[in-house]
Amino acid sequence: MGTSRRTFLRGATAASAIAGFPRVARAQAKTPVKVGVVAIRAGIAAPVGTAGLRGTEWWAERVNKAGGILGRPVQLVVEEESNPKDTVERYRKLILQEKVEVVLGGISTGVTLALAPVAEDLGTPWLSWDGTTQKGVEETMPKTKWSFRSVDNEVEAIAGGLLTAKYFKGVRTIAGINNDYSYGHDCWQSYQAVLKKLGMDVRPVVELFPKLGVTDFTSHIATIQQAKPDLLMTSFWSGDATILMKQAAGVGLFKSMKGVFTTAGGVHDSLKKEFTPEGLLLGYNTMYFDDPKGSALLKQFVREYKTKYNEYPPYECDHAYFCAESWKTAVEKAAKGGQWPGKADVVKALEGLEVESLSGKRSWREDHVMMCNFYQGITTHKNSYDFVTIDPIEVISTKQAMKPAGTKLLEWIAGWKM
Amino acid sequence: MSALVSILMGGVFHASILFLVAAGLQVVFGVQKVFNLACGSFYALGAYFGVSAVQWYVAAGGPPAFFIVPLIAAGALIGVTGVIVERGLLSFVYERDETFQLLLTFAVVLMMEDAIRLTWGTAPVSTSGLYLVYGQARLAGAAVPVYNLIVIAASLVIALGIGWLLTRTAFGRIIRATADNREMAEALGVDMRRVYAKVFTLGTALGTLGGALVIPATAAMSEMGVELIVEAFAVVVIGGLGSMRGAFVGALVVGILRAVAISVYPELEMLIIYLIVITVLVFRPRGLFGGAAA
Amino acid sequence: MRQALVLAVALAAVVAVPWIAPIYHVLLMLPFMAYGVVLLGLNLLFGYTGLVSFGHALFIGLGAYTAAFLTGLFKVRALEVILLTAAVVAAVVAMPVAAFCVRYVKIYFGMLTLAFGMVFYTFLLKFYRLTGGDEGMPVARPFLLGRDLGDMPKIEYLAGPYYYYSLVVLIVAIAVMWRIVHSPFGLCLKTIRDNPAKAETLGISVPHYRWTAFVISAVYAGVGGALLATPTGNVDPTLAYWTHSGNLVFMTLLGGFASFFGPLVGAFVFIYLQDFVMSVVPYWRLVFGAILAALVIFAPGGLLGLFPRRRVIEAA
Repeated sequence: MGTSRRTFLRGATAASAIAGFPRVARAQAKTPVKVGVVAIRAGIAAPVGTAGLRGTEWWAERVNKAGGILGRPVQLVVEEESNPKDTVERYRKLILQEKVEVVLGGISTGVTLALAPVAEDLGTPWLSWDGTTQKGVEETMPKTKWSFRSVDNEVEAIAGGLLTAKYFKGVRTIAGINNDYSYGHDCWQSYQAVLKKLGMDVRPVVELFPKLGVTDFTSHIATIQQAKPDLLMTSFWSGDATILMKQAAGVGLFKSMKGVFTTAGGVHDSLKKEFTPEGLLLGYNTMYFDDPKGSALLKQFVREYKTKYNEYPPYECDHAYFCAESWKTAVEKAAKGGQWPGKADVVKALEGLEVESLSGKRSWREDHVMMCNFYQGITTHKNSYDFVTIDPIEVISTKQAMKPAGTKLLEWIAGWKM
Repeated sequence: MSALVSILMGGVFHASILFLVAAGLQVVFGVQKVFNLACGSFYALGAYFGVSAVQWYVAAGGPPAFFIVPLIAAGALIGVTGVIVERGLLSFVYERDETFQLLLTFAVVLMMEDAIRLTWGTAPVSTSGLYLVYGQARLAGAAVPVYNLIVIAASLVIALGIGWLLTRTAFGRIIRATADNREMAEALGVDMRRVYAKVFTLGTALGTLGGALVIPATAAMSEMGVELIVEAFAVVVIGGLGSMRGAFVGALVVGILRAVAISVYPELEMLIIYLIVITVLVFRPRGLFGGAAA
Repeated sequence: MRQALVLAVALAAVVAVPWIAPIYHVLLMLPFMAYGVVLLGLNLLFGYTGLVSFGHALFIGLGAYTAAFLTGLFKVRALEVILLTAAVVAAVVAMPVAAFCVRYVKIYFGMLTLAFGMVFYTFLLKFYRLTGGDEGMPVARPFLLGRDLGDMPKIEYLAGPYYYYSLVVLIVAIAVMWRIVHSPFGLCLKTIRDNPAKAETLGISVPHYRWTAFVISAVYAGVGGALLATPTGNVDPTLAYWTHSGNLVFMTLLGGFASFFGPLVGAFVFIYLQDFVMSVVPYWRLVFGAILAALVIFAPGGLLGLFPRRRVIEAA
């Protein structure tokens, strides 16, 4: 392996891969700025990817209407997030071939675990909508330079645990049904740890882990019914949450037990009143579309989303909007004298940055982790929709429900001061 | 007792859907020797089309209690895609190695996944609360949704119907003759083109009907087909390729064992199916009801 | 003669790629070379023995996870050791699997291999404490010829040393496979493919030959899988999923299973076509399904089959 070749290669890649040099804004006043997006389009998480993409497109339209970023219009370059191998290739294409300024997106943990080292290597900021670099509940990359990650996977289960202690005090026996992959296992584990810490004397009587993508839970429900728990907890987030709800209604499951759906707000408008009872704890993740205290921005977004897609937006839109908007703000902040800033300066400006997102103020922690609010509450039929909403609405901040930088999850929970 | 009943009913419900898809697989394989990887895709197609049909029906003001009529009609109707796939694709490769037919059905899997996404989008679709209009029944103390019983009954009726078709009708005799000895049947003047088109359409319709019937109890997702193919596959391996009785027994074995595993030792849920498949392959390589294979 | 010329030009082009092509295209050559190795093996079964496996992603998965386990858990970083171990692991697993599968031919063989592939996939997902489940496992950068190249930016490492390392592996794989198919063993396989009954009467032990071909092809897939793991830097269960196996058969068919180099052409075209189509249309599966269907119906000989010349296998 001769040195000459290596030097050559370094020369060839330097401009695109290693660093972004400050460029003269005047020369590029009209050149669009390319923003890379990776979004899931197929499979179970496709609706989530679609929502993220829609949020990003809405953002781009707004920005372009308002004159772009530092006068440059935004041009989205969208690639598909699929399996880790292919997504790593698409990601490299965005940066090496399309020469985008930033990459937004990334949902599945398996993919983002693979993407993070690649992002670090390529030296272009990457803001992940919903993916982390956690293995189970352990952070694997505590200090990243270019990667910005979503909230920890298990936060909604922790929030759900806090609210279970508040709303369902008398519960003694619990059952859990979660998907058979890391997210499902992490949520179940964290949820139980929180209940225990909060002094609830609960005993798990049945724990089920159906494969992700299963569409028939009749046997699972029969099993839960026989175990007669006081409460059923689930972190289902895709169509399976709807299916579980419907099949549970078929046998009147929630007549005899409480229900905690930590993440089903992702498919909230499919939880029709006909089969979704009142009185369940339901988590909407980080954005609640019907928040009466919501900002004008949220209301405008929900209205336009409904008009365009005839659906009510789920949280992923807000993750995506926040990633895009915070990057734009950071670019503007890092720009000196109207010059387009270098990528490293943008990253510096992102650290600790707080911006107004759809759901309210959201920020990046110094160690590149998303900080925001989680919305959960008790289901109600008192609304004008054909699906359930929540009332009261509980807002739980990541400051309260997400482990601080450098701590281990279970030790952190065990150390809570009551 | 009620515990056993509710777990068994869960298993039988699952089995009745599996049977329809597996039966579609079997009839096509038995006659045409084509292993249809796209049977899961047809199942998904039936589910989506069923939802649309029911939505139109409800929007047109049809009484909710009879939603099962448009549902079954839709499931059967969309089975005509079978003719298109058979005439438009498969009919070109009957003379070739079976592998090419398998690959062609793999191509249908790829195309169908995106075609469904193009037509119905990525979000899960469902017939909202219609599942509950028939209420629940009590069987030995266990609550069972009446709709599940209807599906089980429908599946049984279809099973009997196929049995009648295969053993008591002229068409059935032709099918069985073709399955046993194609050259002989052809020499006796059977028009293979028509038989194949009919058989493939029948197989497709069984899959789409299965999808349509299951959908009120669940929600349609684009990958539901790819997921189901693996289970349907286990059913036919256990029952024996090409055998209708095999599909019936195989579906019951898979459905009930899965239900029992979930309640007794949930960790085994999917693994148990593979374990049975491998055991059957080791001791009875042709499945429980398989005829001459290999 | 003409074939030798084409080969020489192709080889020169592949050697020159890192100097002349944009960096991204250099990186795309890495999966091409890894799949090239896999498909050479797969075609020993498909093209030469007449058995189509729908489960070879199992062995890719084995190779890739071997790389992950060795570089992670066992701190073995030498790529030579990794490739060798991947080959051994694939062979060890393939022996019993092959013993089952080669009892059948045609569709039954395809289905059995698919079943075994899915068992492995489920295993990877289910035993997450060992395999990382859906999150998979990271693959640390391997040392090449005993040299730790950890200081290089990864892109340079991949587009330089790793590129040429993969190329050498591919060339060795080609040379070995060439010898295999032109040996008496290869000739026996072809006889078995064309007429198993005749082969049997000639005293060829059909199951034994099929078994050996299966194991060799698994070894190739294992090595290819290990090569595939490093550029991604992470392995995950989707590598072993049945649709991945389907894609392997697709690639082989695309290039032409009837020719020695067909699968390599197939891998190359598949990868670049996918790269292009995925960026242009969101519904690339529809396009790919249509291409596959068209291939099966109109050009079962694949791209190389379109050229009216002597088929290499028959010539051999």
